Amino acid sequence: MNGAPYGRWLPWNASEHGGQIDSLIDVIHWFMLILFVGWGIFFVYCLVRFRQKPGRNAAYELPKGAASKYAEVGVAIFEGFLLFGLSVPLWSRYKTAPPPPEKRMDVTAIGEQFAWNFHYPGKDGKYGRLDPTLISSSNLLGLDKDGDPAAEDDIVSPELHVPLNQDVYVRIRSKDVIHSFAIPAMRVKQDAVPGMEVPVWFKPTRSSDEFREAMAREYSLDQPTPLFNKKKAGLILMEDYPASGEPVAHKGDALVNATVEKLLAAGIKTVRAAPRATMEVVCAQLCGMNHYSMKAPLFVDTPEQFEAWKTAQSAEIEIDLE
Amino acid sequence: MSASIEIPCDITPHPVTGMYNGKFGVWLFLASEVMLFGALFSSYILLRVGAPEAGPLAWPDYRTNHLNVPLATVNTMVLILSSVTVVFAWYYLQLHKFAAARACLLATIGLALVFMVIKYFEYSHKFHDGLYPSTHNFYAVYFTLTGLHGLHVLGGIIVFAYLVGPGAAMWKYNPAKFTNRIECAGLYWHFVDLVWIFLFPSIYLL
Amino acid sequence: MSTHAAAQAHAGHDQHGSGHDHHAHSSWWRTYVFSTDHKTIGIQYTITALCFLAFGFGLMLIMRWQLAYPSDPIPLIGGLLGKSLVESGVLTGQGYNALGAMHGTIMVFMAIVPLAVGGFGNYVVPLMVGAQDMAFPRLNMASYWVFLPGGLIMLASFFMPGGPAASGWTSYPPLSNIATMGQTAWLIGMIFLITSSLLGSVNFIVTIVQLRAPGLSMFRLPFFVWAQFVTAFLLLLAFPPLEAAGVLQLMDRVAGTSFFMPQGLVVSQKLHEAVGGGSPLLWQHLFWFLAHPEVYVLILPALGIVSEVIAANTRKPLWGYKSLVYAALFLGFMSFIVWAHHMFMTGMGTTLSTFFQITTMIISIPSVIVLTALIISYHGASIRYSVPMLFATAFLPMFAIGGLTGLPLGLTASDIHLHDTYYVIGHFHYVVAPGTIFAMFAGIYHWFPKVTGRMMNRTLGLIHFWFSFIFINGVFMPMFFMGMAGALRRQYDPEAQLHAETVQGLSRMVSYSAWCLAAVQIPFVINFFRSIWSGQPASQNPWQATTLEWAAPSPPPHGNFAQVPTVHCGPYEYSVPGERRDFCPQFEAREA
Repeated sequence: MNGAPYGRWLPWNASEHGGQIDSLIDVIHWFMLILFVGWGIFFVYCLVRFRQKPGRNAAYELPKGAASKYAEVGVAIFEGFLLFGLSVPLWSRYKTAPPPPEKRMDVTAIGEQFAWNFHYPGKDGKYGRLDPTLISSSNLLGLDKDGDPAAEDDIVSPELHVPLNQDVYVRIRSKDVIHSFAIPAMRVKQDAVPGMEVPVWFKPTRSSDEFREAMAREYSLDQPTPLFNKKKAGLILMEDYPASGEPVAHKGDALVNATVEKLLAAGIKTVRAAPRATMEVVCAQLCGMNHYSMKAPLFVDTPEQFEAWKTAQSAEIEIDLE
Repeated sequence: MSASIEIPCDITPHPVTGMYNGKFGVWLFLASEVMLFGALFSSYILLRVGAPEAGPLAWPDYRTNHLNVPLATVNTMVLILSSVTVVFAWYYLQLHKFAAARACLLATIGLALVFMVIKYFEYSHKFHDGLYPSTHNFYAVYFTLTGLHGLHVLGGIIVFAYLVGPGAAMWKYNPAKFTNRIECAGLYWHFVDLVWIFLFPSIYLL
Repeated sequence: MSTHAAAQAHAGHDQHGSGHDHHAHSSWWRTYVFSTDHKTIGIQYTITALCFLAFGFGLMLIMRWQLAYPSDPIPLIGGLLGKSLVESGVLTGQGYNALGAMHGTIMVFMAIVPLAVGGFGNYVVPLMVGAQDMAFPRLNMASYWVFLPGGLIMLASFFMPGGPAASGWTSYPPLSNIATMGQTAWLIGMIFLITSSLLGSVNFIVTIVQLRAPGLSMFRLPFFVWAQFVTAFLLLLAFPPLEAAGVLQLMDRVAGTSFFMPQGLVVSQKLHEAVGGGSPLLWQHLFWFLAHPEVYVLILPALGIVSEVIAANTRKPLWGYKSLVYAALFLGFMSFIVWAHHMFMTGMGTTLSTFFQITTMIISIPSVIVLTALIISYHGASIRYSVPMLFATAFLPMFAIGGLTGLPLGLTASDIHLHDTYYVIGHFHYVVAPGTIFAMFAGIYHWFPKVTGRMMNRTLGLIHFWFSFIFINGVFMPMFFMGMAGALRRQYDPEAQLHAETVQGLSRMVSYSAWCLAAVQIPFVINFFRSIWSGQPASQNPWQATTLEWAAPSPPPHGNFAQVPTVHCGPYEYSVPGERRDFCPQFEAREA
């Protein structure tokens, strides 16, 4: 795949099953195009050929032709093929065979107005109990850390980290209204209905790094600095600056005003940068006034990155517990 | 030159459908009412089936739902009786016995009022016991469905009151049409009765 | 517009004095306001619906500003809008949602349905079946006077604390249950609108079945009447479940019940007081049980209008009239069992989703038949490119785009990516905006001479048509690309998400097209009002058409026909070989 991950047609697909969805979409659109062009040619021909002319009358009866019957039956048969040949098998493969527990990474995504929170079971692989009565602004999910030993090592994060090339099994829930868990890059969408828990699963096949590399471009630092604070994606540097000698800014540093000032002081006018979050979990169901802002960054990590992230999260928990 | 407006089948039945316009219209209206109550009954079933087995959200049954079955039984009888009196009203009108028909209609109104009064006692007793629509979805269903049915009864009372009151003038100049009106009102009334006959067992006795 | 009709109605009344409807005294109120004449009611519906249409479109024009220039103050009117919608001239997130919800509600329930059914249906159906009025004239009047307060309640909700309903036109709970007061007004308004359609639909069915002129068998009915007939059944049977849902949601909001509230809801980190035990999906089932048939309520009358215009302007019989009728009936029936294809993403199992995919694919077949029949009707024709014909002709390919793009949405697997994106917006707008609204314009240009006795201006009509055609595609075509890229609908900030940033240019193009589209409606408005008073006078049958409405004078007097017509043939006897003229009206006996 070339070009940028996001454009004016399907975004890059980063999941195993997504390719099949994309090819289904392609097939349907070719079918639609052929039908439309076929109809269109006949229609335009009629519009020109049979316009009103003096001395010619319309035909009361058309010569009996079966072309339309063939066309209609053809359409029906092809639709049948789309349905039973492609859509139903794809859906049932995708929806009825969850990856086995020992091979997958488990996480629960919990929607609320207007954020996603992700609950990882932690080292013990067991989710701690969630109690709605314990919910507060410091315990967003109501995790029962005192009452349930399984809850002690649970990770609650506003970011979704998943390992590359491993099945991810996400239970979708909602605390308040209906949300929809959607990851365009993964071709995943599932409503989060309060009172229900519905799982989805996918296998990420492209890493955030790969996306980031494709999204990186040169940014001029000469512009007024607030630009970088305004930029919603949150840019990070793609390499160390300056390239030789002692770097004043490192690869991965956020491109905030302080960094820009340091870089400018070192005489660097342009940098290569890319968004930190290259994929997003968004909400696809109207959920209130800030619905548009309900999104969480998704990171597809290499196994090492994923372990490092988990360790860092666990360290935070230790500090909390003390 | 414009003729006066003549709407076919206003009084006489249409040769194919066998119904005059009003009757056909009422049947269509009732079809839509069936969809209305059908949707409500389906919702009731769905909520009841989806309720947990135990705990505060468990669905109460006839032993635990605090509904007054004797009063509701009386109400069922009252409503059935009122359906009968409507039929008699129509019957007397066909025999051109207006006074008797009028008495039957007044009886219908009276019975409908009795139904509403009993309903009032039932409701106020529930409120007194602290059972509100918000207490449990069972009471939500109970108050919503019987309340909506009660509104239909109220609508019927208004229609019959009009027909024995100002609407009765039509008997003098167009008795056939007046008789049709009683038939149509009666059809509606039977439907209201029928809804209650479904409501009573499904809410009180299950 | 009603001056002529009313004057004649007036004259007609004085002559018969104590006729059947002796209640209708010819007072000003009775003639213009509380009229029982189906034509006056049709005009009332049309005018009201066109006002709502313009209003609903206006809401969208405001939203398009936010989508083109996020968080810039709205020019000109930004200061005039209330606190519930804007803050220092900038549309708020809440305001954006409110405008979106009201745009949908107004367009569907207060503009298109009243225009297609209340307006065109009321005016044309009794004429086409050769009746003097609807079966229940006073019920007809009541239907309008229940519709209007419903609409006004909706409008009044703009002035309520917290603004109007903002939970989408679909009003999904629990969001709508915890929303501001405007939602209650929405529900009450909906109950009025539903009651109005109910009264109307009973009237239509009885009129079509019982009041047909002598000789007018069901299979001699124009397709427009068939379309209205099926539509009336859809309204009659599909609306009550929404009414039930509305009552339940009203109870949830007012009496604190939990029909749609599950247990343990936590809103803003506080446990909600509702006891729970309800189901949010119950609402969706009840809502879509209405709302899918509703789609056909929006499109069938449009197909009916287009068929009439095409038949009259191709000067030949509609191809496959009977299959059109059967297709419409089948569409009507099938539309009751496809509703859950709007809910594929709620966590539906394979069996259920397969069922609804199958019904969805099946329902596309009659749509294909209808479209094919209409397109083949052009073959061998002698096409007269009148303004209504241009609108009807443009309708076909655009409706086809709307229909075709339904395919990837109807298949669950492709729906995963496209669900709730701009692709959906593009899809259904192609059906109802370039589709139905173009058909409505075709209908207005087509029947305007019948209603007013005057023709509309052709030059202004051509300007209106060509620019509308260009800009309406400019509005909706880019949406497919935006949707493909993943841009979601109902997003206040169009650049908030990574995949949406890249299509912001397209979004801006949509906005420009929408504003231009609004501008090119000005020739229509000028044409409409100018032609009422100073248009070229029209004869009784200016299009040389065959159906019964052309047997009545233009405009038809109270009671419609000087003499109830007798019907001699099918509805589309054009270019019959061996005939003197190229059309044989239903109301004229042929010599042979």
